[in-house]
Amino acid sequence: MMNGSLSQRIYFFTVSCCFLFATILASVIWSSQTVELAFARDSYAQEVDNQTNSLKQLVISDNIYSSSYSVSHWQSLQQKLTRLLKSSPKLTPSQQTVQNSIKSQNENLKRLFSQITENKLKNASTAIKVHLKARLMMQLEAIRSDSLQLSSIAHTDIHNTIKHEAFFIISVSGVSIVALLFGSFALMHIVRKSLDEVKRAFKQNHSGHFQKIHLSHPSEEFDSIVKAFNGMNDKLSETTVSLAVMKKVVEERTQVLEQLSNTDPLTKVGNRRALFDRASMEFSRAIRNQSQLTLLLLDCDLFKSINDDFGHLIGDEFLINICDVCRQEIRDIDFLARYGGEEFIIVLPNCDIAGGIETANRIQNSLAKHCVDIDGKKVCVTLSIGVSTIDERYKNLDQLINDADKAMYQAKENGRNRIEVLTRQNLH
Amino acid sequence: MFYGNYQSFWQPQKHLVTIAVSKTPLSTPFYVAKAIDAFDGTCVNVKFDEVIGGQKAFTKVINGEADFGTSSDSVIAFQSLAQKTFVTHAMFVQSDNDVKLITRPSAQIDSAIKLKGKRIGVTKGTASEYFLSILLALEGLTTEDVQLLHFKPDELVHGFIDDKIDAFVPWEPFAFNSAKLLNKQIKIHDTKSLNTLSFNLVSLIADKELVEKARCVLEGLTIAIDYIASHPEKAKRIVINELKLSAEFIEWVWSDYIFKLGVNQSLILSIKSQAIWAVETQMTKYNEIPSIENFIDSRAMLQVDPGAVNIPQ
Repeated sequence: MMNGSLSQRIYFFTVSCCFLFATILASVIWSSQTVELAFARDSYAQEVDNQTNSLKQLVISDNIYSSSYSVSHWQSLQQKLTRLLKSSPKLTPSQQTVQNSIKSQNENLKRLFSQITENKLKNASTAIKVHLKARLMMQLEAIRSDSLQLSSIAHTDIHNTIKHEAFFIISVSGVSIVALLFGSFALMHIVRKSLDEVKRAFKQNHSGHFQKIHLSHPSEEFDSIVKAFNGMNDKLSETTVSLAVMKKVVEERTQVLEQLSNTDPLTKVGNRRALFDRASMEFSRAIRNQSQLTLLLLDCDLFKSINDDFGHLIGDEFLINICDVCRQEIRDIDFLARYGGEEFIIVLPNCDIAGGIETANRIQNSLAKHCVDIDGKKVCVTLSIGVSTIDERYKNLDQLINDADKAMYQAKENGRNRIEVLTRQNLH
Repeated sequence: MFYGNYQSFWQPQKHLVTIAVSKTPLSTPFYVAKAIDAFDGTCVNVKFDEVIGGQKAFTKVINGEADFGTSSDSVIAFQSLAQKTFVTHAMFVQSDNDVKLITRPSAQIDSAIKLKGKRIGVTKGTASEYFLSILLALEGLTTEDVQLLHFKPDELVHGFIDDKIDAFVPWEPFAFNSAKLLNKQIKIHDTKSLNTLSFNLVSLIADKELVEKARCVLEGLTIAIDYIASHPEKAKRIVINELKLSAEFIEWVWSDYIFKLGVNQSLILSIKSQAIWAVETQMTKYNEIPSIENFIDSRAMLQVDPGAVNIPQ
């Protein structure tokens, strides 16, 4: 397909129509001239025929051998014929052959007539007179036959010219109609298709899909629309953020914030708020499901003297080490959080008192093995752990934490690095 | 074998025809047709049988030795009197100066009347004899008033050289040859237009098949005659080569020729007037003038170019 503007196409289309029309017009003019010339040749042939007939009439009606016979009439007619033959219109090659024949016959006619009339053939017999008169007639007849042939060639030419012209006009018109139909359909198709493509792009824009228009039939006019549209689309897609993307961003940010607000910045375990959120949830679930729930409250023994001996930064390292050890020894469903200072709480869902004590033991044992390296010297810390487990007496979480706290203090009092459970007897 | 059948199915059947062609430049259309392969597109394969004189050609046709012949209107006129079973299909050339009267300059013959009592050589039953009788008649003489001697056309000049005759009436190219041979020892008289000689295509009485053949021969001649009109120099060269003639001779006769195919009233009149003349001058033993129209068959010509046929149908 031609890649130009629609107006160019229409222009080309119009010029083609004009050209075809001009071709038909030219051929009509040409053929009318040809027919006109053929008619001129025909009327020329008719005139020659008439002239010859007049001469023939003269030969038939008068006695050319009579002494009173006037040759002037003949001669004037003959001169007329000669002049006529000189004034012939432009002839076709085949007509020219005939024309040459007529001219030659006319010369013979002249010579023969002058031979006959020169001395009236005073010595000749009647037979030769009759014979020569017959020859005169024969010459005239030959001219007449030739003029008839000229006329017949002209008729054939007229017939053929009209036939060819009709064929030409019909075929050119036929081709033109097919070309016009094809051209207009093609133009319509391009406009319709391009409009559809632009419309579809607008629809998609509406639904938030910023897509570029690609014309299947590029044209200058539509290209300018497409360029403007695509430019606008680019800008829109740069400045517009879709709802889904926004949601995702917010969720990500929220998650980060949540994590920050629930995490202890030093040890990266849950902070107090996270502890209460999670523990409350687990407490409610345990009550509802009548399942087990055990809390461990861990306190680093003699942490103040560590701070004093090694400084706060090393103290912080001890806290981080404790958290690392705890994380390794608890289950996925368990939850470790910093309760305050050097105090940590571990929430153990679906875990009874024995399980709690076991976990506490594992932690103490593991911690004993994982000492902190300070200037090439291994320094170990111990934990006093208080354990409390849920039963029907507890109305809220605070009571459970409180009991774990009490048990931890008992462990401190009983010499540290111990695990204490607040038994019924110990209950106040 | 199948291929052969297939071929013959698509191509029109080609008839082999023999044409007795008179060896004269009047037969130019035939030589040109052969040279430019004008018969190739027609239904005939043409073989030429070259003869001296139209009468010889005619004899070949009558004897069945040739399908067609080229004969002058004089021959046709004489033969029509003999009621021979032939027809003329078309005239293809005319010359108003083909037959000439040749005498010795020393005889000082400036008028036909001076031919009285002279020994004159002619070719019997041809335009030569006919033309002499016309010349004589113009001055009130007949062939009885001269001593008529018959020669073959190519032997006339030898009769003249051998002094057997005082004058002779040859046609071309013998007139030209004589002029070349004897140069100033002969006088060629200006008799232009006294006799028109035409050459015609003749055959035996035509059945449908022969008309078909004649049509094809005429189609070839039409192409050749158009070629002569549009390429006269090339046409002349063809005749020069075919007849071993000199260019000088062709220039000598060419202007007298009118090459044109046709069957018209003037041909009938010409034949008729010559037949009447032959009877009245006792050139022939026959007395009855037949209907010349019976010796004309325009069917083939009508198929080739109806415009060239101008006779009452």
